[in-house]
Amino acid sequence: MSGLGEKVNELLFELGSHKIPGLPLTNYMFFLIIAFVLTLVFFLLASRKLSMVPKGIGNVAEMGLEFIRDNVVVDVMGPEGKAFLPFIATIFFFILFNNLIGLIPGFKPGTGTMGTTVTWALVVFIVYNAVGIRKHGAWGYLKSFYPKGVFWLLAGFVMILELISHFIRPLTLSVRLFANMFAGHVILGIFSIFTVLLFQAPGVGKVIAILPIAMQVIMYAFELFVAFIQAYVFAILTAVYIGGALHAGEH
Amino acid sequence: MIGSLSALGAGLAFGLGAIGPAIGIGMIGGKTIESMARQPEMAGRLQTTMFIALALAEAIALLGFVLAFVLMNVGAK
Repeated sequence: MSGLGEKVNELLFELGSHKIPGLPLTNYMFFLIIAFVLTLVFFLLASRKLSMVPKGIGNVAEMGLEFIRDNVVVDVMGPEGKAFLPFIATIFFFILFNNLIGLIPGFKPGTGTMGTTVTWALVVFIVYNAVGIRKHGAWGYLKSFYPKGVFWLLAGFVMILELISHFIRPLTLSVRLFANMFAGHVILGIFSIFTVLLFQAPGVGKVIAILPIAMQVIMYAFELFVAFIQAYVFAILTAVYIGGALHAGEH
Repeated sequence: MIGSLSALGAGLAFGLGAIGPAIGIGMIGGKTIESMARQPEMAGRLQTTMFIALALAEAIALLGFVLAFVLMNVGAK
């Protein structure tokens, strides 16, 4: 098992973002564009022939959209949240396609770098604050952080805590998505390194190499699950934040 | 020396930081199953809430993961 440290460092370097020679892109931006084109093509194909009873790819797209509408938008924000269905569905499907192409060997998920996820989290942050300010006015929205009917010293303290947790939201939102995708790829890579090193080792190592291969298959299935869950979680938290801005000061 | 200490620190940061969220996620999952068994008609709403709570608990573990990487890079310098 010699050379494990260098191999792991090599893997981490490979998973970082690099400039593609000859193009004004990094490797993650390249796969981000691929995911963008895939999402576009998928929905163009799905909406090509619209009918009451959708077939094939249109059926899949409609199922996904219905899932977002019923389980994410209406469940969390109530019927008035339906205006935000396009925004949240776009986020969900773009993240889902990004996560899924990352699972093809040799490909990377566009979401596997901080740059992408921080940008999206900031977009979400701006959107829900804008929604809150438009609904309640700037002063009213700010006042909703101040709890009513509490001793003023305690209320001021609570307001500071509320504001901190408010501004930490884009951080946790972006780190969650990035770390899940990145960690998944590191784990898959480390099990492949184990497999190769064990197979090169003399003697009984060749037989033990079965174990990391089996583990890799299991982790791969788990990563497929994580790809869906993280897109769902990002969409549902966006819905929660927008819903919170819509109903600010009511709780 | 600094390199090996920072590797140790990175491991501890993630390992210790994962204890709390792990307990939390276990409790969230268990309680959700309990309530779903008690009121099966609420299963859909409960699942939505469960995922929100899971995501919030998980974020803390992942902050530890990012901190571990930061600590490892400190050692590399």
